[in-house]
Amino acid sequence: MGFTSMLGRFFGRDEESSLSKTMAKERLRLVLVHDRLDMSETMMEELRTDLIATIGKYMEIDQEALEVSLSRDDDGVALVANIPVKNVKRQVG
Amino acid sequence: MVNKWSAALANKPTVLYEKSLRSGQNINFDGNVVILGDVNPGAEIVAGGHILVMGSLRGLVHAGALGDEDATVTALHFAPTQLRIASHITRPPDGNVDEGAKPPEYARIQNDTVVIEEYQPPR
Amino acid sequence: MGKVIVVTSGKGGVGKTTTTANVGTALAMLGKKIVMVDTDIGLRNLDVVLGLENRIVYDLVDAVRGNCRLKQALIKDKRLENLYLLPAAQTKDKTSVTTDQMMELCSKLKEEFDFVVIDCPAGIEHGFKNAIAGAEEAVVVTTPEVSAVRDADRIIGLLEAAGITEPRLIINRIRTNMVKTGDMMGVDDILDILAVDLLGIVPDDDAIVISTNKGEPTVFDDNSRPGLAFRNIARRLNGDEVPLMNLEEKRSFFSRMKAMFKSE
Repeated sequence: MGFTSMLGRFFGRDEESSLSKTMAKERLRLVLVHDRLDMSETMMEELRTDLIATIGKYMEIDQEALEVSLSRDDDGVALVANIPVKNVKRQVG
Repeated sequence: MVNKWSAALANKPTVLYEKSLRSGQNINFDGNVVILGDVNPGAEIVAGGHILVMGSLRGLVHAGALGDEDATVTALHFAPTQLRIASHITRPPDGNVDEGAKPPEYARIQNDTVVIEEYQPPR
Repeated sequence: MGKVIVVTSGKGGVGKTTTTANVGTALAMLGKKIVMVDTDIGLRNLDVVLGLENRIVYDLVDAVRGNCRLKQALIKDKRLENLYLLPAAQTKDKTSVTTDQMMELCSKLKEEFDFVVIDCPAGIEHGFKNAIAGAEEAVVVTTPEVSAVRDADRIIGLLEAAGITEPRLIINRIRTNMVKTGDMMGVDDILDILAVDLLGIVPDDDAIVISTNKGEPTVFDDNSRPGLAFRNIARRLNGDEVPLMNLEEKRSFFSRMKAMFKSE
């Protein structure tokens, strides 16, 4: 615990995390992740292409079956990728 | 008779609007218009003939919009944002505040200017 | 050739119209030739904030449709010679203007004026698209509330998609005391999230209510704190470097003492 927050406690003030502005900021962060995702269909397509290119350097993947999606629940948003691997490239050198 | 109601205009068709006219609402009519309610700021009446407001007039009115200089505007409480009769346009002077209760007034064109005076029923 | 700036926010009630009126007026006070355009068709308000509501004969819709000449629809301010208003229509349908007409209007206006300041309606629909159609720069107004900041973020995204890539932010209605106690997001919190350039901060102040009542922008009042904030914003828009104003509610006894010692 930092000195300031100890001081805060001493003076009966709440910790940083329970300040209403901190709550506001956290709620905003989450809501903006949701909002910004709604606008990024083309970005998802670009991400898919980039993923194929990057992973393709190391292994052979089934491009048709590749699935990239975002799953959301109340706690947040996760990027979920399902990438079937056909073959792993032989190590060079 | 104090009020010189033009006979030609009085014979025109008249619409009766039986509630208040709110901001953004407007009435356009070739004849006379009678409002049984208020005309709020932002509301607009354009009439070919007379306009009679049986309430507070605070919006914009244009009587004699087709050029008839005999048209008049009458209101129980007369405080329009802007007043037009035929091709004349007037507005209250700057810094003018709505002074509250006062007798009914009416406006007409006299000697080429818009004159507003206390309403006297025709005798 | 002048500049076309749109004042927008997404959310209603954060002070777009007040900002437009004050920034436009303050730019005119700097000697620039200004026209403010109200694009909120059906819900116009800029005329009332400026105290010009009783002078309106023609409006934006009349001007773009050729019912009158553009000059006829421009209302000269009653205080400043070089300040004009193009009012929105109040009793016409909001779809009565197209984006092409707005672009043409803006390009005509900027030939004549140093700044064309456009007051955008709330929302992201037709009216918003019209308001930004002819704009080269954008000012996004927000307040330190979750809902307002969220909508500002959405607007910034839409502005960028429309090619207005560097919108600048005004944070309105900051209450220093609440920021200090941690009950209001501060400037840094908001900038942290939105990641755009800050154009200015405006303190929450009773002076705004009073000036709106009178129909007289608060920038005319030398003692008004939001007035000073808006004048500073205008100078920044004009290209001057102006430091952010000190938001201290009242200077404490201690800081006044410090100031006294400094001045010696």
